[in-house]
Amino acid sequence: MSSSVVTRRLLAKEGDESVYEVFIGPQHPASGHMRFIVRLQGDVIVSVDPDIGWVHRTMEKLAETKESIKAIPLLERMTIIDSQNVTIGYVRALEKLLGVEPPPRAKYLRTLLSEINRIASHLYGMGLAGIFVNHSTMFMWCFGDREVWIQLAEDLTGARLTHSYSVPGGVRRDLPQGFKEKALKAIRYMEKRLEDYYRIFFNNPQVRARYEGVGVLKKSDAKRLGIVGPNLRASGVKYDARLLGDYGVYDELDFEVPTMEEGDAMARLLLRGEEIKQSMNIIRQVLDKIPDGPIMAEKYMRLVPPKLREQALKEGRIKFPGIFANLKLPKGEAVARAEMGHGEIFYHVISDGTKKPYRVRVVTPAFRNVILFRFLPPGHRFMDFPPIYGSLDYFPPEADR
Amino acid sequence: MSRRKTGLKEHLEAIATGIKYLVKPNRITVYYPEETIVLSERYRGMIHYDWNKCISCSLCAMICPADAMKMYRKKGEKKARPGINYQRCIFCGYCVDICPTNALSFTRVHDVAYEDREEMLYPPERFTQEWVSPAEKEGAKKLKVVFDEERGLVHEPE
Repeated sequence: MSSSVVTRRLLAKEGDESVYEVFIGPQHPASGHMRFIVRLQGDVIVSVDPDIGWVHRTMEKLAETKESIKAIPLLERMTIIDSQNVTIGYVRALEKLLGVEPPPRAKYLRTLLSEINRIASHLYGMGLAGIFVNHSTMFMWCFGDREVWIQLAEDLTGARLTHSYSVPGGVRRDLPQGFKEKALKAIRYMEKRLEDYYRIFFNNPQVRARYEGVGVLKKSDAKRLGIVGPNLRASGVKYDARLLGDYGVYDELDFEVPTMEEGDAMARLLLRGEEIKQSMNIIRQVLDKIPDGPIMAEKYMRLVPPKLREQALKEGRIKFPGIFANLKLPKGEAVARAEMGHGEIFYHVISDGTKKPYRVRVVTPAFRNVILFRFLPPGHRFMDFPPIYGSLDYFPPEADR
Repeated sequence: MSRRKTGLKEHLEAIATGIKYLVKPNRITVYYPEETIVLSERYRGMIHYDWNKCISCSLCAMICPADAMKMYRKKGEKKARPGINYQRCIFCGYCVDICPTNALSFTRVHDVAYEDREEMLYPPERFTQEWVSPAEKEGAKKLKVVFDEERGLVHEPE
């Protein structure tokens, strides 16, 4: 597939000396392994072919070869920086098939980790957007401050990135001692810090000059191309999978879904800043409102020996029932969507009544957004290509699966 | 949301912010291996196996998503026991969570390096070994992570 794209493009310009071809990648040009075939006339971009698939790992096929619960640690490796949000859709689909609902406290804890992950994911994207225009301060700051949120996630789940936190029926760990104080400190720090972000990056005229007015995505185009996530909302469309109320407790919380009208690269960047503020608002509410109670559905907890159940309550970490090793999925189909940092992820799980899913279809946000590389850069100068790329927060391993 | 116009004031603000952090940097670096962070209570590190608690139910080997855990049976013995291959382990902790007798447990050690691949195989006998962080063994200064409103994360001596 990839070679045919290259051949077609090369043949098209044989003998044509007015068009100059630049190959960017596939050696990790920025956010992951992928290649852009950029055709230039002078300094103006004529066309861009995003050549994807360099980090394809057959995620969907591998998920079919494993017992359903084993696919959770596998699928989170699609977007390692956002592993709760990338697997929550799969877990929801399994729960629909199995006919089990997580208890309220588990839903709150899932929401908590989802938002911690969203902040970390946005900081990652913003940091890369900084280094794209050689603003290495932004890169260092974002990656340093991301550490704060990763530390919070580690305190909650026991792992920095590969949390594997949600399982069908609930979550694996309860809130640790003193978590609320830590989280509130982190929020207050980040709020102060965001002001400095605005001073040194978002409102810095040097950055504005590169990001403002480039890569404008019109509202109608965004809808027509099926764009998702912050890239869609920056064009003025208020769509967020969290509003559907299928997972977590977003329907019980009071938060805004920020949108912007401009649709340019700067709007996409600023929107991520606004979303971080909203995510912190959500974390505050979750910590205030979180109810007491079990973190795992009764259906599975009662299969655990009584002694272990007591231990689980005392230590705040559940023990799996033995049935989890051989969880049989009832025959049927289930779909679920969830909002990741990059946009909406969609899962379609089909089961034929055995332990392993018959089919796991994943549509990732990066895969839906990659088409923008074809539509946004043409007509711009080559210098504008990095800011456009940076603003899209494109994550190749997620698109290639 | 209307966008702010930028000009000379914003240039100066950006420079002033840069200078502020030049004078008062927000460093979070830890000089490993002279210093090492003591990990949180729930950290999913290297796994410890308790020989006497194990009932050979083989649930750990069944649930392992990476096929790192395998049951080993010696000739003439009835009981099979788990062994782990750290080439494959992804530290998801499913085996620890499903163990019905708490024979498997997490340690807070993760900084382990190997010279060859054979060493990463832990048959049941070797799997029972106690884990000590190599940095701590060498007498590294132990630090704990503290959340701070001014600096985000601060590493304080434990």
